[in-house]
Amino acid sequence: MKKKAVITGIGVISPLGKSKEEFWENLFKGESVFHEIALFDTEGLKVKKAGEICNFEPKAILGDKGLMDVDRASLILMSAAKLALDDAGFKITQENTHSTGVSIGTTFGSLYSISKFDQESLTEGPRYVNPSIFPSTVGNSPASRLGIRYNIKGFNTTISTGMCAGLDALDYSRDFINLDRADTVVSGGLGDLNIQTFLGFYKLGYLAGLKYGSTEEMCPFDKRRNGIILSEGAVIFIIQNKDAANSQKKRIYGEILGTGSCFEPGKFYKYSRKGEGMKRAMELALEDSGIKACDIDCIFANANSTKDADLIESKAIKEVFGENVPVTAVKSLVGETFSASGTMSVLAALGAFEKQSIPAIANYREKDEDCDLDYVVGESRKKSISKVMINSFDPNGASSCMIVGKPV
Amino acid sequence: MKKRIVITGLGLVTSIGIGKDDFWKALISGKSGISEIDSFDTSEHTTHFGGQVKNFKAEMFLDRRKIKAMARASHLAIAATKLAIEDANIGLKKRNTNKVAVMFGTTGGEIQEMEKMDIIWLKQGKEAVGLKSIVQYPVNNISANVAKELKLKGFNRMFTTACAAGNYALGYGLDLMRLGKTDIAVVGGSDAFSYLSFTGFNQVRAVAPLKCQPFDKNRKGMIPGEGSGVLILETLESAMERKANIYAEVLGYGLSCDAYHMTQPNVEGVSKCMQKALDDSGIKPEEVDYICAHGTGTRHNDKVECAAIKNVFGDRKIAVSSIKSMLGHCMGAASAIEMAACCLAIKEGILPPTISFETPDLECNIDCVPNKARKQKVKVVLNNGFAFGGNNCCVAIRKFN
Repeated sequence: MKKKAVITGIGVISPLGKSKEEFWENLFKGESVFHEIALFDTEGLKVKKAGEICNFEPKAILGDKGLMDVDRASLILMSAAKLALDDAGFKITQENTHSTGVSIGTTFGSLYSISKFDQESLTEGPRYVNPSIFPSTVGNSPASRLGIRYNIKGFNTTISTGMCAGLDALDYSRDFINLDRADTVVSGGLGDLNIQTFLGFYKLGYLAGLKYGSTEEMCPFDKRRNGIILSEGAVIFIIQNKDAANSQKKRIYGEILGTGSCFEPGKFYKYSRKGEGMKRAMELALEDSGIKACDIDCIFANANSTKDADLIESKAIKEVFGENVPVTAVKSLVGETFSASGTMSVLAALGAFEKQSIPAIANYREKDEDCDLDYVVGESRKKSISKVMINSFDPNGASSCMIVGKPV
Repeated sequence: MKKRIVITGLGLVTSIGIGKDDFWKALISGKSGISEIDSFDTSEHTTHFGGQVKNFKAEMFLDRRKIKAMARASHLAIAATKLAIEDANIGLKKRNTNKVAVMFGTTGGEIQEMEKMDIIWLKQGKEAVGLKSIVQYPVNNISANVAKELKLKGFNRMFTTACAAGNYALGYGLDLMRLGKTDIAVVGGSDAFSYLSFTGFNQVRAVAPLKCQPFDKNRKGMIPGEGSGVLILETLESAMERKANIYAEVLGYGLSCDAYHMTQPNVEGVSKCMQKALDDSGIKPEEVDYICAHGTGTRHNDKVECAAIKNVFGDRKIAVSSIKSMLGHCMGAASAIEMAACCLAIKEGILPPTISFETPDLECNIDCVPNKARKQKVKVVLNNGFAFGGNNCCVAIRKFN
């Protein structure tokens, strides 16, 4: 028998907010949070802005102890997890630790430490590099630190599927609930801002403001769109099976109704023009949930403000849903948080359930004739919302979608 | 009732042999793949030996343009995947590949590209870093490149659960089949030899100078290696329908997290993981004939693993060998390569040895199949994988009947 996976706790650390309330408030206010990067030196680079988390004080959330040698990625993740555990009122005990797991989507979560260790070793010599950085160079280090800190023994999994990683990690958690491998999963996505990742997207030509005459603006579906604003953050959800959550009288924020995931072989780091993978992932999610396209109240698009991605996604949505479904794009406000991006959209969707309103796409000013859907722009839109589709599409070919439902 | 899932193809790219036949021949003759490192200068390191795959020619598996467009961990993974698909005789061309999943595990991914970038960065400044390495670096390239090369359009997942990642990939493939989400999955692991990881393990004093001697009283540590192992996972229905050659049935797997220490395993977590694998498989400890150990050759790992085996299996002297004695530690590929060894052990009725074994250790009171392969009927096998951060994954398989 299929169980049901529900969300009973939320934790977020992002430039848009360091609590769910603050995140939702800023989301519906629609105010931009991008500013000049203070975290590292951008001298010599044409792009200066990012979605950097300001006034982040991990010690205020995590306490003073045990944070030596812990890098920024792990601090962001552990802080979000702490908020989520507190929000759910979930305590890890001797009794429940083995049926509680961790499933995190992150792709570059260890990149800063990798490069730091590597460069130190190249400069100082391999026998003089500080060994205490080494554990942070492994991809599963943020999730593992989280597991150690909160004594979570059931399992600990890190999934690294680029922009899809956050949704894929939630999908994994849902499967583990359905298969009875776990009762509770601390699950979400993580992307941290660092010079290495920034430089990567810069060199790839992905960042807004790189082309002559363009502006550093995140404006999905707008004719002026010209790239992403790189951002950072983590969203953690406490995922539990519905019966257990109900019997414990937990507050339920939403339910994962279905997921769809597939791959479309294409070129390197370029979205495939046909959008076959995007369409198929949306269709698979509908099929998995047993919901008709016309019953989806809103789409939280992948829309990352790049020329190709938004156009291809618009066409794919049109083919699956027609023109009348409202579409919003959370990245216009929170930026491209990469492996956390899908989970940012899920969090926004839970806010939409709460407020019965769709948050608007920020910075939308100039219509693109080829992107002609019902985009929610200007102001947030009051509407009865009970089922939404979340899209995550990676330029490398992976597509993942998730349908989330309002608790009934 | 649970769906039955089987393994129908093996692909191997290792320091002791490429392809399952060469690999197996070397494995049961106790050949070592450990040699002097030549992919970077080790003159300033404390140790100089590693398990590099020195005779791998990417040209045999990929055209030149693609070789240039990808990096080494992808080359190894694609080669192993092609070998596995050929071995399984799937006939991809005639098949709808929408439901063929690709699941890979890795520790470092295309870490060599990051290492190249760092060298340029330090010498010429960050603006000089080239696009090529940047495009190739992201870790999800491995599973994506495999899927692109073979046009596989199903689930695509990359597990970065370090040294147990191959088992994680196989485990999730099994789960997706149990849930009816896919019929065929390419599962495996791939890691390229890395300066960073070699340096790091050296700095935490975990590397042995010359040879890897799991369970030996005088063991001096692990030896980093590289390679790729790929298995074709299939529902029994699908395998029967196409009359496939079946190596073994996957019974189940278990995960646990030590939640203890970033680099040191712990007895409780490891015991729990083996127990969960047995429970998921519906088998009793006494049914297990052979354990393919994580057996890294470090003082701590081997001691902990043996104590955990005693916890779960009692005083029975069960055969436990570590093929890392021959291959070194292939990181994210290790447990996938070891799983292929388990399949062949069942198929051939031979246990691969733990080589370089000289002096018994009371702390490792197990039958480690010392130095010589052993003919023995093998029905049920447990494959152990324990990773950084205490991320553990054990998989149980059984002779198919």
